[in-house]
Amino acid sequence: MSRISIHGYGVVSPAGWGMVPFREVIDGPRTLAPGMMERPDGSRLPTLRVPAPAVRPAWLAHARLRRSSLISHYGVAAAMEALGAGCPPVDGGLGIVSCVMGGSVQYSRRYFGEVLKDPSTASPLLFPETVFNAPASHLAAMLGTPCRNDTCVADESGFLAGLVIAADWLSRGVVGECLVVAAEEADWTTAEASRLFSRSAVSSEGAAAVRLRRGPGPVELIRVTSPQPYRHGCNRTAAVEAAIRQLGGGIGTVRFSHGIGPRIDGGRSMNASFGDGLAASGGWACVAAMDALLRGESTEATVCVAGSNLQVMGAVFRKGQSEP
Amino acid sequence: MLFPFSPESNSPSRVVVTGAGIVTALGTGWGVNAEGFRSGRTAFRPVQGFDVSRQRTKTAAEVDVAGSLPASGLSARQEARLDRAGRMLLTAACEAWTAAGWSGRGEELPLILGTTSGGMALGEEFFRRASTDPAHRAGQATRVTHYQPQRQVLDLMDAFGFSGPSTVIANACASGSNAVGAAFERIRYGRSERVLTGGYDALSQLVFAGFDSLQALSPTTCRPFDARRDGLALGEGAAVLALESLASAVGRGATVLGEIVGYGAATDGHHLTQPHPAGDAALATMTAACRMAGIDPAQVGYINAHGTGTPLNDSAEATAIGRWAGADAGRVLVSSTKGCIGHLLGAAGAVEAVVCLMALRGQWLPPGRRVDVADPACGFPLVPGPSDASFEYALSNSFGFGGANATLVFRRWA
Repeated sequence: MSRISIHGYGVVSPAGWGMVPFREVIDGPRTLAPGMMERPDGSRLPTLRVPAPAVRPAWLAHARLRRSSLISHYGVAAAMEALGAGCPPVDGGLGIVSCVMGGSVQYSRRYFGEVLKDPSTASPLLFPETVFNAPASHLAAMLGTPCRNDTCVADESGFLAGLVIAADWLSRGVVGECLVVAAEEADWTTAEASRLFSRSAVSSEGAAAVRLRRGPGPVELIRVTSPQPYRHGCNRTAAVEAAIRQLGGGIGTVRFSHGIGPRIDGGRSMNASFGDGLAASGGWACVAAMDALLRGESTEATVCVAGSNLQVMGAVFRKGQSEP
Repeated sequence: MLFPFSPESNSPSRVVVTGAGIVTALGTGWGVNAEGFRSGRTAFRPVQGFDVSRQRTKTAAEVDVAGSLPASGLSARQEARLDRAGRMLLTAACEAWTAAGWSGRGEELPLILGTTSGGMALGEEFFRRASTDPAHRAGQATRVTHYQPQRQVLDLMDAFGFSGPSTVIANACASGSNAVGAAFERIRYGRSERVLTGGYDALSQLVFAGFDSLQALSPTTCRPFDARRDGLALGEGAAVLALESLASAVGRGATVLGEIVGYGAATDGHHLTQPHPAGDAALATMTAACRMAGIDPAQVGYINAHGTGTPLNDSAEATAIGRWAGADAGRVLVSSTKGCIGHLLGAAGAVEAVVCLMALRGQWLPPGRRVDVADPACGFPLVPGPSDASFEYALSNSFGFGGANATLVFRRWA
């Protein structure tokens, strides 16, 4: 059986760029107030946006990012934080699993708006950035990795499925290390879509990334549950309960949840803290769990992600033997 | 549990295809498509699905989507909500499922699909209504839900009554090959006994306009590997494959359509939309796939090339094939079926996988569009026209925006 461990993580969230502002919200003293995003008709939708970085990251000067959308910036920032200073070369190659739900919605909305006005003048610069795997491609180009690079579309649970893909590649030696990245960008179209399903929904944006290796490490991936898909007639509460049963966990286990999960397992609600960041939400929950372990809150942490429209998945992480 | 994994067996499992379904502009089903690919029939027509009057190019390989769907576990209401992409996917999946003879009720069956845009036409309609008539929200929630590929995943689960882990790979135009490759590896390395896999994409206004604005669409005729080629042609469709371990197939006496023996994937960081001119990543995937298959270029009888018909793709791929084949380049026959059915984007790799299985099973070569003057980079013979052949292995290349590269290797089942 392969042991899979986490050797770095990073986030971009409505709290700001990096782990420091993220922890301020997770730990409680700071709460985030949604701003309003304007629709074309002037009506407004509550949204948690990522603030502009205090200092413009040097990597934004990379040629690949010159015309890229915010989703790519967020993903790269989280990945760079996960890789740590210097981004040392990786023996066996660095794979990338990119998880998205909304994808490049800003450029898609802009581009399709141009098409509806007059397709003969729609900008050819926008279209390539609308493709789901554009952010992962930019990241691979920046890091110079020619290895496997899969972009997977799912709901908020997709990050946990991404961890399993990475674990599979690592177990078989396909890559030496693997980044799992989830990034999303806010737009009035996604904010409006969220409100169609919940009047209290607050759309948000950002990214999460983790760096995985085979073998022991400071945090280890112990379990990922079988998914509980929302087939026709599915009782979502029962689906969450089934996932929680697979997670186990005793007294002292810290729990982080997304969706309706907190109502059932009492976990810290990622939605309440950061809004619905689509695929990034699942990543935030996992990073919060890993960080809780490294900060000594517990020796075991669980994550339960009840996605919006695909499935429920859960994961268990345990504190490992060595510090990073 | 998805993780930890069960202990791997000492030797990889052999992976066979026991069912395949296909929908292209040539028609619906294995029979009509096999006949069409074998004869090199082309299937382009003026686009009817949306307004192309302001586009440079006005044709594509559109599918006549059937009015009625094959019987499945979907309710009439669920069927009524399927969009064009979902209908093609379900039709192909029903054919594959029936051919495989799977029952599946209540089974944990992994599903791995490739697509670039899911139900994009519904997303377009959501945007049109949200931007022009925001107060009128009827149907908008359904459009949001059904535009996303998650819906097509759940629809297939409901149609056949299975549950399990699902993966939707969106690696642009390599998505279908990556999906089939991921499914193949899942069985090969003992994660599952059976996997349902495939790819699907429907034509949409956004994507059509996107390729047109890049001037990637041919304003004349899509002619892959022709020295005078001037672009690709878009198409739409779906293909689904029922994969299982050889032990599983033999154990239940299933008919085997062919074997998958190799898969390679790599990333080309050269440019977001242009391949490295020397085809480095394509060379890497062909080499890796053949290494996994345990074969060398001299054993490959046919390559179904990515062959989009764009100047940059075809010259880079031709260079890569030449580098990969070396002294054997003159012996391997190459064609691109995109000259007949267009570029099916996220469905392309899965459809072309089925074409390879058809060709291996029937021992014929799909000719693709006639090439008058081959690109000078083609150091290999192009399939000259409808022809029979005797060959054991076929290779399928798929390359996409973002540098996604994938190669699959198929073996004849005899």
